Amino acid sequence: MLRVEKIHKSFDDFKAVNGANLTVEKGELVAVIGPNGAGKTTLFNLITGQLKADQGKVIFNEEDISSLPPYKICKRGIARSFQIANIFPRLTVFRNVQVSVLSQQEKSRKLFYPAEKLAVEETNRILESVGLSDRAGNIAGSLAHGDQRALEIAIALGNKPELLILDEPTAGMSPEETAATIELIKRLADSRELTILFCEHDMEVVFSAAQSIMVLHQGLTIIQGEPDQVRNSSQVQECYLGGAEPC
Amino acid sequence: MFKDAFSLKSLILTGAIFFVLLILPPIIPRFYTYILAVIFVTALVAMSLNMVVGHGGLFQFHHGAFYGVGAYTVALMLTKTSLPIWACFVAGPIMAALVGLLIGAFCVRLTRLYFGMLQISLGSLIWAIAFRWYSLTGGDDGMHGISMPPIISSSNGAYYFALIIMAICITVIYLIFKSPFGATLQAIRDNPDRCEAIGINVRRHQLIAIVIATFFAGIAGVLFVVVEGSVFPDLLFWVFSLEIFIMCLLGGWFTFAGPILGAAIMVSLKTFVGIYTEYWTLILGIILILLIFFLPEGVWGYILEKFGSRHKEAIEKGSK
Amino acid sequence: MDIGQAFTFSALGSQFLVGLSRAMILFIVSAGMSFVLGVLRVPNIAHGSLYMIGAFSAFSLSNLLGGGSGGFWLALILAPFVVALVALVAERSLFCHLYEREHLMLLLFTFALMLILGDLVKIFWGADYRSIMAPDVLQGSVSILGAPFPRYNLFLLIVGPWVGVGLWFFSNKTKIGKIARAAAVDREMVGAIGVNVSWVFAFAFVLGCFLAGLGGALVSPMVSVSIGMDHDIIMEAFLIVTIGGLGNMWGALVGSLIFGLTQSYGVLFWPQFAIVFPYIAVVIVLTWRPRGMLKSVW
Repeated sequence: MLRVEKIHKSFDDFKAVNGANLTVEKGELVAVIGPNGAGKTTLFNLITGQLKADQGKVIFNEEDISSLPPYKICKRGIARSFQIANIFPRLTVFRNVQVSVLSQQEKSRKLFYPAEKLAVEETNRILESVGLSDRAGNIAGSLAHGDQRALEIAIALGNKPELLILDEPTAGMSPEETAATIELIKRLADSRELTILFCEHDMEVVFSAAQSIMVLHQGLTIIQGEPDQVRNSSQVQECYLGGAEPC
Repeated sequence: MFKDAFSLKSLILTGAIFFVLLILPPIIPRFYTYILAVIFVTALVAMSLNMVVGHGGLFQFHHGAFYGVGAYTVALMLTKTSLPIWACFVAGPIMAALVGLLIGAFCVRLTRLYFGMLQISLGSLIWAIAFRWYSLTGGDDGMHGISMPPIISSSNGAYYFALIIMAICITVIYLIFKSPFGATLQAIRDNPDRCEAIGINVRRHQLIAIVIATFFAGIAGVLFVVVEGSVFPDLLFWVFSLEIFIMCLLGGWFTFAGPILGAAIMVSLKTFVGIYTEYWTLILGIILILLIFFLPEGVWGYILEKFGSRHKEAIEKGSK
Repeated sequence: MDIGQAFTFSALGSQFLVGLSRAMILFIVSAGMSFVLGVLRVPNIAHGSLYMIGAFSAFSLSNLLGGGSGGFWLALILAPFVVALVALVAERSLFCHLYEREHLMLLLFTFALMLILGDLVKIFWGADYRSIMAPDVLQGSVSILGAPFPRYNLFLLIVGPWVGVGLWFFSNKTKIGKIARAAAVDREMVGAIGVNVSWVFAFAFVLGCFLAGLGGALVSPMVSVSIGMDHDIIMEAFLIVTIGGLGNMWGALVGSLIFGLTQSYGVLFWPQFAIVFPYIAVVIVLTWRPRGMLKSVW
């Protein structure tokens, strides 16, 4: 479904992504891991169009999306949540998700119809699936951190994506919240036939949930494979878990 | 469709205010009728600006340029051509929207501060041309004594004309505010990057908002000519644009009706302070500073917050 | 002047110098605005008002100090300090409390300041036009390229670059200048290493306004000192800073040259619409390079 081929991105002199490769098959749960600064968020930004690659390609459903702007990539079926809660702080929780659904339904530019009558069912369904139904009327900026992360995911779901990309979905969460979020992700993958790509620091989460893991180090893909493969790979153990030298 | 957009309480309140405004002219002195008419026109400009600033998050620093273009277009067409009145009236907002489209297309590619500054330079270009083209526009003096059909040239006639047009325009702006377009625009205000990520073509959306807003500014410009019978280059000068900006801030730019209140306060203050002193600018500056420090949500925004929280408490108490 | 005359070498040359000397004033004023913009990230709309106060102060000071040549030189030196004092008072009493707020509030504060200062000047000095005589040594003109060129303009051509050099030296070679430049790029980092960011801002603001006052004092013998001065100069400085690159001093120089020269040549070719030419130049530059010609500080 998604293929990232030999992708490069530099900022002035700093090579953030240095020839990374990634494959995501339909229906999979794929994780990208790597130490801080490995380039995970940059890689995601390259996939979803916030950044343009210097070299390399991003191919989604056999189409080269490397040079498309973010909104067009979204329309192709990729939705994304961000590492830092990137919500609409002054709008209500309901409105946050509704705007996303309206965009997916191509109704964003409707001028003379009250918005509150549109996309109500779909929005409520999404809010229920992430557990925010009871807070639908609250102002998004006033939500607790964990709820804002849930809202993050809800907004991404509003786009009815084929591929959902989650940037560190459990960042800053307690063990209970983390477990709940992982449950949620697995549930969403099953019920909505979603393919999910995420990056994480929490190794337990990754090895228990993911079907395919890609290891990123200093912008370069070390290996991608099933959890056991990755766990037993000596390369990974050297780079990631042990030494400080580049591989 | 209309019924669903309005809540009963605000509908009654608005209706009451409208009714009062309808019956005022025969019972108040002509001077006040004139002032109210000016308030209607100014309120429309402020509302049109707030559409892109308060609800859209754009730094539209030279909105007055579109207002002025609308006013000058209708004034020039009325005095230099013999086209029918209604054609001149319609040409005003259309011209303003065209200029808005042109300038907007230039500016919308840029981020906030550059957007504002490019707009100021383009708007100032228009001002400079109007200011210097004496033979066409009367230059510094402006144009005076523009003739209007008798029903709207009288003091009461102008009042009612302005009131009705303003009411229609504000209703339309309200419908847009409540529509998916308006909701998406506010989302863009809050977080344009996130909007891009959920599939919204932010630039196109902003450009449409600008064209709509400048169209309404053009209508306000036409109303200005009806009420005042003249037109000056001051309308196109950047200081006036910042005054409109302040009206939105004064009223409360995250609310819907705030700019109307802001316009009313500004025009009233300017008129009445002007009677006692020539240092209106000083007073305005002090008001602005007080606003910045104590009332950043604006007067209406502050009232809504106060009543909003009390309303919530009342509901909670009532439900217990 | 018809087109034929306009194209003589003499006319073109002398208009070049006129434009250049006008550009010097614009440069001094815009460099000050650019400096403030770079460090505080806010365009100071009151910058024009401070320029105007500089001109009026020079007028009053030179009268106070005897009115002759000596009076002028002293006034020229003292007026910018008067302006700097006004700026310091405004900054410490009100402005500094807004540093934590969003930028739009700072911008609106400077607008309020412009409104207030504008009327204060009217109250203090009245609405009449004032004029100052340049000192004897700078009166009259010299003949350059066969056309008369005012001595005072020549003086500006000398002073301008020195101010530029002084500002450059100050920003790059003194400790406080370097701190200010660092704060422009990353204020959190500067705060984190223990520098009092608020005082850095105060310093930058006062320095910028000092330059505005200097510009006003320098221009005072050339124009009629009146209450519309703030509106005219602020728009020009704004646009110069935008096309030059926000916060970039060399950008302010380039922008000022463009402005000054388009204005002076505009007068030569189409006097009625001379004021339009700089705006057209701005539109062209911003279409070609939306972020300004030189790199902005942020």
